Amino acid sequence: MVIQKEKKSCGQVVEEWKEFVWNPRTHQFMGRTGTSWAFILLFYLVFYGFLTAMFTLTMWVMLQTVSDHTPKYQDRLAIPGLMIRPKTENLDVIVNVSDTESWYQHVQKLNKFLEPYNDSIQAQKNDVCRPGRYYEQPDNGVLNYPKRACQFNRTQLGNCSGIGDPTHYGYSTGQPCVFIKMNRVINFYAGANQSMNVTCAGKRDEDAENLGNFVMFPANGNIDLMYFPYYGKKFHVNYTQPLVAVKFLNVTPNVEVNVECRINAANIATDDERDKFAGRVAFKLRINKT
Amino acid sequence: MHQKTPEIYSVELSGTKDIVKTDKGDGKEKYRGLKNNCLELKKKNHKEEFQKELHLDDHKLSNRELEEKYGTDIIMGLSSTRAAELLARDGPNSLTPPKQTPEIVKFLKQMVGGFSILLWVGAFLCWIAYGIQYSSDKSASLNNVYLGCVLGLVVILTGIFAYYQEAKSTNIMSSFNKMIPQQALVIRDSEKKTIPSEQLVVGDIVEVKGGDQIPADIRVLSSQGCRVDNSSLTGESEPQPRSSEFTHENPLETKNICFYSTTCLEVSTSPVGTVTGMVINTGDRTIIGHIASLASGVGNEKTPIAIEIEHFVHIVAGVAVSIGILFFIIAVSLKYRVLDSIIFLIGIIVANVPEGLLATVTVTLSLTAKRMAKKNCLVKNLEAVETLGSTSIICSDKTGTLTQNRMTVAHLWFDNQIFVADTSEDHSNQVFDQSSRTWASLSKIITLCNRVEFKPGQENVPIMKKAVIGDASETALLKFSEVILGDVMEIRKRNRKVAEIPFNSTNKFQLSIHETDDPHDKRLLMVMKGAPERILEKCSTIMINGEEHPLDKSTAKTFHTAYMELGGLGERVLGFCHLYLPADEFPETYSFDIDAMNFPTSSLCFVGLLSMLDPPRSTVPDAVTKCRSAGIKVIMVTGDHPITAKAIAKSVGIISANSETVEDIAHRLNIAVEQVNKQDAKAAVVTGMELKDMSSEQLDEILANYQEIVFARTSPQQKLIIVEGCQRQDAVVAVTGDGVNDSPALKKADIGIAMGIAGSDAAKNAADMVLLDDNFASIITGVEEGRLIFDNLKKTIAYTLTKNIAELCPFLIYIIVGLPLPIGTITILFIDLGTDIIPSIALAYEKAESDIMNRKPRHKKKDRLVNQPLAVYSYLHIGLMQALGAFLVYFTVYAQEGFLPCTLMNLRVEWEKDYVNDLEDSYGQEWTKYQREYLEWTGYTAFFVGILVQQIADLIIRKTRRNSIFQQGLFRNKVIWVGIASQIIIGLILSYGLGSVTALSFTMLRAQYWFVAVPHAILIWVYDEVRKLFIRLYPGSWWDKNMYY
Repeated sequence: MVIQKEKKSCGQVVEEWKEFVWNPRTHQFMGRTGTSWAFILLFYLVFYGFLTAMFTLTMWVMLQTVSDHTPKYQDRLAIPGLMIRPKTENLDVIVNVSDTESWYQHVQKLNKFLEPYNDSIQAQKNDVCRPGRYYEQPDNGVLNYPKRACQFNRTQLGNCSGIGDPTHYGYSTGQPCVFIKMNRVINFYAGANQSMNVTCAGKRDEDAENLGNFVMFPANGNIDLMYFPYYGKKFHVNYTQPLVAVKFLNVTPNVEVNVECRINAANIATDDERDKFAGRVAFKLRINKT
Repeated sequence: MHQKTPEIYSVELSGTKDIVKTDKGDGKEKYRGLKNNCLELKKKNHKEEFQKELHLDDHKLSNRELEEKYGTDIIMGLSSTRAAELLARDGPNSLTPPKQTPEIVKFLKQMVGGFSILLWVGAFLCWIAYGIQYSSDKSASLNNVYLGCVLGLVVILTGIFAYYQEAKSTNIMSSFNKMIPQQALVIRDSEKKTIPSEQLVVGDIVEVKGGDQIPADIRVLSSQGCRVDNSSLTGESEPQPRSSEFTHENPLETKNICFYSTTCLEVSTSPVGTVTGMVINTGDRTIIGHIASLASGVGNEKTPIAIEIEHFVHIVAGVAVSIGILFFIIAVSLKYRVLDSIIFLIGIIVANVPEGLLATVTVTLSLTAKRMAKKNCLVKNLEAVETLGSTSIICSDKTGTLTQNRMTVAHLWFDNQIFVADTSEDHSNQVFDQSSRTWASLSKIITLCNRVEFKPGQENVPIMKKAVIGDASETALLKFSEVILGDVMEIRKRNRKVAEIPFNSTNKFQLSIHETDDPHDKRLLMVMKGAPERILEKCSTIMINGEEHPLDKSTAKTFHTAYMELGGLGERVLGFCHLYLPADEFPETYSFDIDAMNFPTSSLCFVGLLSMLDPPRSTVPDAVTKCRSAGIKVIMVTGDHPITAKAIAKSVGIISANSETVEDIAHRLNIAVEQVNKQDAKAAVVTGMELKDMSSEQLDEILANYQEIVFARTSPQQKLIIVEGCQRQDAVVAVTGDGVNDSPALKKADIGIAMGIAGSDAAKNAADMVLLDDNFASIITGVEEGRLIFDNLKKTIAYTLTKNIAELCPFLIYIIVGLPLPIGTITILFIDLGTDIIPSIALAYEKAESDIMNRKPRHKKKDRLVNQPLAVYSYLHIGLMQALGAFLVYFTVYAQEGFLPCTLMNLRVEWEKDYVNDLEDSYGQEWTKYQREYLEWTGYTAFFVGILVQQIADLIIRKTRRNSIFQQGLFRNKVIWVGIASQIIIGLILSYGLGSVTALSFTMLRAQYWFVAVPHAILIWVYDEVRKLFIRLYPGSWWDKNMYY
């Protein structure tokens, strides 16, 4: 019939809350007495302590299954990706020639990035290897540690090395250098014993037109086999990643140009539908000139 | 004449005041209560219906006045055109079915009820998030739009599903509503026509035969020996005589009105064999229609389980919203973008809401409903399945519910001894001494002095089920003798009837004269039965052990003692006597004149007494005992007389053998009723008249103080008041009934239970449950199933809630520690609506842990479905363990692919940047965005599998709450294993079958990752076994209080 809802007045509600927080008759705080609180806190202390210990133990056991040097599985890294330097937001390389600040941050990043490639450092830390073949350093039963790395000298980057370069890798003149690098993958024999190189092109026809000429360092965008295989951060302490520099000589100014660079290697597919960076890299280049 | 009291609605209005003056017998009292109660009702809700008035004075009018009033002619009937006009004006002669909620409203309710609102909020947040993204970046991914759509779809699908389940259970019921169209014999255009009774209009002249239902409220114009069964209207099991005389001011008491839907039991075959009457009210304007509208005026209250589910939804929604808002604030203060914070919020909501649970509950309830339907309890409203389980008071109607609703011979008295007859449904076991020669004489009288016969063509029907046309007591006698003596018709044939005087109310006896079946005995036998005192007056001798003894004072005294005793049992007593007429005086050729009575009707030989009652159903006493042990109070509420009611209450155990009422004590101690200490009485019999004068406080006091209560002579409104009184005691009230007079109470009750066979349609419409076999004992089944489903729903909810923490933690860790997201929103939906559904339904098949019929019904305000220990144990104990286990799988996958846990910390920002395609892992390898994304999905799958594996353990531990799994039996509930198999199969299909569908973000997981969480799963099992062990070892301890849910 009539739904008789017991309406409580505001005062009653407050009163009930007060009593819930501290009940002077039963000495209950939030519905529990002191001992009850002590019990419950002790219980959770013990219980959560135990859970933490259990989790730590299982995690420890799990970590025993992975090695320090090489990951257990590499199935996701069958095709190494390519990436550019300078690393910019959304891979947009925008150069306002007249606005120094717009490109100077790129230059700074590149300076920092290329520092380990300085010939002096390379000569000090790394070996001169025989080009055209893999630089294998097998363990042969005994841990061969640390592994040596091959030299990649900054001077190999020619006009893009930035050494004594008043144009700041060409950024101040609107002829920027973009560096291409291939992702490190442990024990990956890139190129399958055949030479490989990086090529760049405009993504579409109009991009190709706007892109104009470019030069690559090392010549043809070659990447030598001696930089492979990579043995991992722990083993291959001073590993120097090979680079390919591309200097865009006469990009049509004030136009966005979509550039795509890919690696031509026997064992690197560059047509993965889903992974747009597998064996290739796409970036936007825009030179703004007034 | 008619007194106008416009402020009152009540069916007996006309002449209420006159009744008060003229009433003598207690039989008339029941209607007086109506007036006050109606006023009370009216005060409570000003419903229009209650202010309607019933003008009924047709019983006082003469035939001529009636013809004038209704523009009809008693001989010619109405003209067809006039009838058509009236039909158009008044509508068909049928009860308007109770207003149904429009289907679309029901559907929309499903769309916005429960968690739906929360999910809609989630969906809208998704679209808002996309809007923000789109406004800053036109190429924003549509992922959020899809997620929003998926959430919307989830709401709509679960809504449709719940709606479908509801609709399905309602459909079972609609078959009931289709009544066989009734026909009525009507005189129109001076022709007799048979028309569907819906087309009757006021003023129609109808003819009703014995056995027919009265097609409308009719004023009797002519009839002979007509009796009607008013039990569905008033609860009186005795047939009521009807004639054309105006006998009472009250239209309900007067003899010349028959009521719609009551049954005409018999009509004397001479001269015409029909009752002729004029229709004075049709459809909703009939008395029945008024009571039915009273029922529809009673609002439906929420079922206890609906309240519990609402409570549970509030808890979960509260947790979801507060954690969501808390982490929204944390995220914003951690300098996350608002967009990201909104996405976190969506994740938290989705993780917190058990999307599949409400659908699961619906399925569980409908499974139980099906199971109960098999046991003859048909549930109309799914939620009512549980209500019976929490019932603490059953208010039961007497006639037809506790009793068989047919007169049956209960006791015999002959040879100065009372014998008990078997009153069970089939009479199979008559154990009284049948060797006495007195019995031979008595049985002959019973057989011969009886005018009713079985309807032809029932050779294969068991005797007790054979249909008989005629008076209820005669029927009882016929069946009684048929069972003991065999073919009664054959016996009657052998003892040819020579003459007879049928029963009439002035003589109060019935007499017939027969030839004997002994060919050598030429004497005629006169047999007579009737009111015992009348019969005794006519006797001079009494038969004892076959010998005739003179009837002296002492034998007369034993007769009176026996008569009083049987009468005190609420039984209708008949006396039997006979006389062998001397052959010389009355030869076979003697012509008996029944009007002149040219034969002796005194100095007969008294043979014995026979008493009849409407006996309790044989299953009822046992069921009442079971209710008692289950802590359920059974109260009888009947319209019948207090003596009969009390007798039946005693025989079925509603008043137990050793408890007394105040009156009993007064009688035993021979003191005045006022002097009795009320504390001494356990039982109480309260009449409608007493009830009428009671305040609600006094009623509360009676309901609270007496264990065993019988309410007699109650009106429909008073039944309502009693139910309300019980509900004021915080009791969950079940009402059982079959009559129209029960329907308001059935509606008002938390659960109304109607009888399927004997029940009137009004009762079935108002009820939530229908007992198909009319067996009160089926209620016990209902209680058991209801309690079981409540326990099992607890298990289901505990099972479902557990994984919410495992789903929620990833988002919290993701926000605070900056790990790559461990589990995606879509993946969560796959758990909630995929792998977890069948297992949580499987818990509904779990057997009870202990004897659930030996414990008290749950207190509806204290024993909640989801209580604090349940939430705490599910969330903070098992849920947390599960989260840890799932994280273990997640970390394992990442570590073995190259990202060690320490590297993962705070990696989130770089990890999610689209343009970072050379992210370094722990080994110095570099990953493109897509490679990382795939790994992230593998992480989702791993986390999913981690939860799945531990949910198997969770499912197993939820089988019991107190007992060890091994006590319960690991394999007894096979459905659980079907659930586990389904879980694993769905998991395998998602990972290996659909692993390539990017939108679902599942990947093919290495086989060994399925086993990483197994130690945690085992830990869960062991931990829960320890919990249960301590609960069993230390009942009532701190542990028990905090850990038993």
